[in-house]
Amino acid sequence: MAYAGYPPPEHLLRDLGMEAELTTETSARVRTRVTPEVSAPDGSVRAGVLATLVDIVGGSIAAPVLYPDRMATADLSVQLVGPPVGPWVEARGTVLRRGRTTLVIEALVVAVDEDGADTTVDGRPADPVAWASMTFAVLPARDGTPTGPMVVDLPMRWTFDGRPFDRPVFDALPIVVLDGPAGRVSVTNRPYLHNYIGAVQGGVAAMLAEAAGAEALGAACGRDGSGMVVTDLQIAYLALGKVGPVVTSTRVLAAGPGSRAGAVVELRDTGADDRLTTVVNVTAEPVVAVGRAS
Amino acid sequence: MTRVGPDGEAADDGGVVDRRRHVSDYFRLERWELATDDPDAPTVMAGRTPVDDHQRGPGDGLRTGGLLTGIDSLGGFTSGLAVLPRWIVTTSLTATVSELSHVGPLRLRADVLRRGRNSVVTALDVVDEGADDRHVAAATMTCAVLDPDALTLEFTRPFALPMPEPQADPVDPVTFFCIEPGTGPVTRLRLEDQLRNPWGILHGGAVAMLADEAACRAAAAVVPGVGALAATDVVLHYLRPVRVGPVEARCTVLGTRSGRTVVRVAIHDVGADDRLVTLGSVTVVTV
Repeated sequence: MAYAGYPPPEHLLRDLGMEAELTTETSARVRTRVTPEVSAPDGSVRAGVLATLVDIVGGSIAAPVLYPDRMATADLSVQLVGPPVGPWVEARGTVLRRGRTTLVIEALVVAVDEDGADTTVDGRPADPVAWASMTFAVLPARDGTPTGPMVVDLPMRWTFDGRPFDRPVFDALPIVVLDGPAGRVSVTNRPYLHNYIGAVQGGVAAMLAEAAGAEALGAACGRDGSGMVVTDLQIAYLALGKVGPVVTSTRVLAAGPGSRAGAVVELRDTGADDRLTTVVNVTAEPVVAVGRAS
Repeated sequence: MTRVGPDGEAADDGGVVDRRRHVSDYFRLERWELATDDPDAPTVMAGRTPVDDHQRGPGDGLRTGGLLTGIDSLGGFTSGLAVLPRWIVTTSLTATVSELSHVGPLRLRADVLRRGRNSVVTALDVVDEGADDRHVAAATMTCAVLDPDALTLEFTRPFALPMPEPQADPVDPVTFFCIEPGTGPVTRLRLEDQLRNPWGILHGGAVAMLADEAACRAAAAVVPGVGALAATDVVLHYLRPVRVGPVEARCTVLGTRSGRTVVRVAIHDVGADDRLVTLGSVTVVTV
């Protein structure tokens, strides 16, 4: 379910080539192709890209459920489970609870074949790629907002057509590394990265945190950022990043042979008095093998 | 109506103190507010828990469920103080545990990140004072702001609550939280009165402890030859209050990656039409 005019013709979500289907009034699925450009150094799809996929599946469900009210993502968590073994990854979301001020959604990310069937391994369904959940804050409809019924014929399908990436997704945004060991990375605010209300899209914030966490934790482990794979993102969205550039700062919590690698990444809108927009707990592990779905 | 007195104890309408700090007292959580000169500054609180031997888990530190109980207690209280005269209920809690072995005591700090009309977001950090302030955990919790007519609250500011005395007859956390013995994907908790918070519903820390224990049992049942297990990363969405019980955690092991097993945990209030009350995930590691 896309809002009118969103995303614009030149947009990250289009270049991710997402295909979506609203399957019931409270469930949807959104998929994107597994390519080297959206993959981490070990061949798994980047946690930030999965967060984007999950955010879109959640938004696809939330928009008609909440209509005429609108929503903003309040928190989102994604945990990688297994490597993608199919040509596509698909996020399947469903509503857990619809409250007066919030909507909570769970999403399971699975590998699927070209025909949309679950990928199998040795005749059995492959492990899930990731588990995710998110909370949307309900934004009450303002005066003048249409209040007529939202007519949705189910199943409803749509595709975000764009140009496939010709470079890694982090370079396409682009994310600029200001100080790797300090976990300082930056992205310029531009329409290509916007959500439907003109601020930096939640998935972009996730990718920014992933990049910052990998850089800082890689340095703490004696590697560079490409030597780490981010496996968990716990994201709290506090305010919109409307001006930019959005710049991260990172606090490494633990990194070493005897401990797990974790960091807290803060995103600030430097053009808006350094306003804290997002806080992300990042967990990562060293790259141990390189593999990629064909 | 529920009233909370100046020392943080819940009282009923007759003014008789109803000591329902049982859960946070079990972990001997000391709490104090960090006063600032700026009256408009966000609320900041600190806490300390000693890590008593009977509360240690397989990682030789405070069990993750216990850690989450402290985080929930301090974070909830901090969030509540930030919206007085209204109060809050926790809606989600995420935590990542970086160190499972603790010397103790553990020191907690809670900072309000965002105070909105309908919700409060608070960040928490835990360090091990006995290990040169080594980092232990980072957490974020979101609370919904309650209807102001639901309760009346009175606190002496800055708020402080001393560390409770050690228990004379200590029991382990699984026993304390009335978690029934068992193995496999389903774990049950008896909703005894002492596990209720001042508002009469199951304490969020008890839910977290149940999720911890249930996920470890579920992972142990499917991971061959696994040793002692402990929970690390946790995501919990508190969807509805638990009022009746018994409470059942139903787990699905999603998979294992680099020694980390991700378990989906769905918690149901069996006595309340089996409704789903909490959903989340727990990452389990071998220690």
